[in-house]
Amino acid sequence: MLRTENLTKYFPIRKGFNPFLRREQRFVRAVDGVSISVQKGKTAAIVGESGCGKTTLARTIGLMTKPTGGKLYFEEKEIVEGKIDRRLIYRNMQMVYQDPESSLDPRMKIGRSIGEPLYGLMKWEKKVVNQAVTRSLELVGLSADFAERLPRQLSGGQKQRVAIARAIAIQPSLVILDEPTSALDASVQAQILKLLLDLQKEFNLTYILITHNIAVAKYMADFVAVMYAGNLVEYGPCKTVISKPRHPYTIALITSAPVPDPTTRNLLQTEIKGEVPSAIDPPSGCKFHPRCPFAEAICTSTVPPLEELSSGHLVACHFVNKTA
Amino acid sequence: MGSLLNIQGLTVAYDSRSGPVTAVDHVNLELKQDEFLAVVGESGCGKSTLSLSVIGLLPKPPAKIVEGSIQYKDTDLVRLSGNKIREYRGTEIAMIFQEPLTSLSPVYRVGDQIAEAILVRELRKDGKGGVESEIMQRTYKRSARQLRRMVRLRHGIPSDLREEVIRYLRLVRIGDPEQVLNRYPFELSGGMTQRVMIAMALSQEPALLLADEPTTALDVTTQAQVLKLMKELIRKVRTSILLVTHDLAVASQVADRVVVMYAGEIAEDADVISLFSHPLHPYTQGLLSCIPSGYKDESELKPISGSLPDLRSLPVGCRYAPRCPRVMDVCNKQHPQLIQQGKTQKVSCFLYDQHN
Repeated sequence: MLRTENLTKYFPIRKGFNPFLRREQRFVRAVDGVSISVQKGKTAAIVGESGCGKTTLARTIGLMTKPTGGKLYFEEKEIVEGKIDRRLIYRNMQMVYQDPESSLDPRMKIGRSIGEPLYGLMKWEKKVVNQAVTRSLELVGLSADFAERLPRQLSGGQKQRVAIARAIAIQPSLVILDEPTSALDASVQAQILKLLLDLQKEFNLTYILITHNIAVAKYMADFVAVMYAGNLVEYGPCKTVISKPRHPYTIALITSAPVPDPTTRNLLQTEIKGEVPSAIDPPSGCKFHPRCPFAEAICTSTVPPLEELSSGHLVACHFVNKTA
Repeated sequence: MGSLLNIQGLTVAYDSRSGPVTAVDHVNLELKQDEFLAVVGESGCGKSTLSLSVIGLLPKPPAKIVEGSIQYKDTDLVRLSGNKIREYRGTEIAMIFQEPLTSLSPVYRVGDQIAEAILVRELRKDGKGGVESEIMQRTYKRSARQLRRMVRLRHGIPSDLREEVIRYLRLVRIGDPEQVLNRYPFELSGGMTQRVMIAMALSQEPALLLADEPTTALDVTTQAQVLKLMKELIRKVRTSILLVTHDLAVASQVADRVVVMYAGEIAEDADVISLFSHPLHPYTQGLLSCIPSGYKDESELKPISGSLPDLRSLPVGCRYAPRCPRVMDVCNKQHPQLIQQGKTQKVSCFLYDQHN
């Protein structure tokens, strides 16, 4: 369905104004060679902490920023900048953002917010568009009269429903969900997650879910990709990665995620030190080595390749046998 | 163990264009010595208002304490005047906020800010009276001036004070305190600034530490480190902690006792083991089943239907009744009271009321 090959996205850092200080051009390596593939009707979750490049990866896949290197395939066709009509892609690929507050125009009625892309992308008639708007509002559990309201009259959860309605109105096959529930309260988050799963079953949607919440990834995903400082460190079927993580970072991430159970206080047993490194001057070799309990000399010099452990389970670590 | 903080019938209202909005409504809460208490609830349930009223930082107006008392040791904090509450604020009762960067001054080095806090503590200890007394005011102003001059002339902090600062930075597990104390807050990462905030709060040797969503702005691995640190400190420094959070999972990991709030009221108050093994209030049960825990296709979330109530137009009976799956006739007519269930659990629900 969707495949990336060695995708990179570097952001140049602006040089100073002093012409005598000739510094070499430096980059923020937001996404540093990521290859993943997503199958039709499945959910791939990309998890990681802030600054690991997960949102940049989503924006690159969503053609909102140009990748600096690598290849992107959508439905087996390579997407080359300038050679492809974006509208054709966006008919099949839509995005839902983290903050429903800022993804809706405050002065546009909900109905128009949902309908607008349909005129442009699909060239539909007004009558058809209105039908599609009503239908997608009903699909996300809102009544048709919401079309006449303004965003400020809606609660946060309702706004996120509208954002989802807008994404599915066009009947895409792939939806990129960028932290769809992190701005919402616990009870509303559960409603939205359930809605997303129901929609996936009904329309055989493919999701790319960006999240920092392991519990959400575990509940929603078929495949999990763990990113650290722009690199993919572990990728595989959800159950394998969550229950038998092999990369030391994945292990740390999973034990750091609080579980609602006072009898097993996993969080107090975590041993992880330090914080996410800078993406401008990342550590040499394996980027995780300054924080890694297993690190040895080789980790500081050589970048570990992604290697297949069992079918479909890839880990980038020199000492995978130590973490079993 | 006696109670350190005893809140009785606390009611806080905010003035708004459409009349007063009651954010905290007749809340009774007790915090014992050396206890780690977590207050959990969704946005707008009044959990932050509660913690702000304890430390006397409510924005008045629009906020107003309508009735109730906050008994801290032997004093009622509600009745204290603005000057008198300063004796407690930041000293006996310290607070950590959600955004560490906005609570530190951007123009002073981290070390100087902690040093100033220690200076205030020393003056307080010397028995120069409360902050409101004239001597204290003068000394404080003078020493603050001196300190600022020292900082400006780059003389640095006096060495004994410097040692003290380093000791506190070590306490919060900062690896190279000598380096860190010369940095400005913006040069440190989120986790580091939050540690500095904790160090600053602890330098006052507070008896009570209020933490309002201290880890919400942090990453999970950093959150784990900070929470672990707080849990250790309660043993080392002997402070009681009141943690305000929206995350039940976080509460379950660190707290001894958990209070669940809904629409300005306490829904359930129980020790952490009972609350998670047999939650009594339907809202607590709902919240717990809202946390995704299983894998796809194996488990199903049971979200709470409906949305949070508008505090301006609350239902007459139980505030949770419109969303409650086990609603009865009485719930829509009468207001439930917090009743004792078993030894350590209190719940405000008619399901457990013997009289009905």
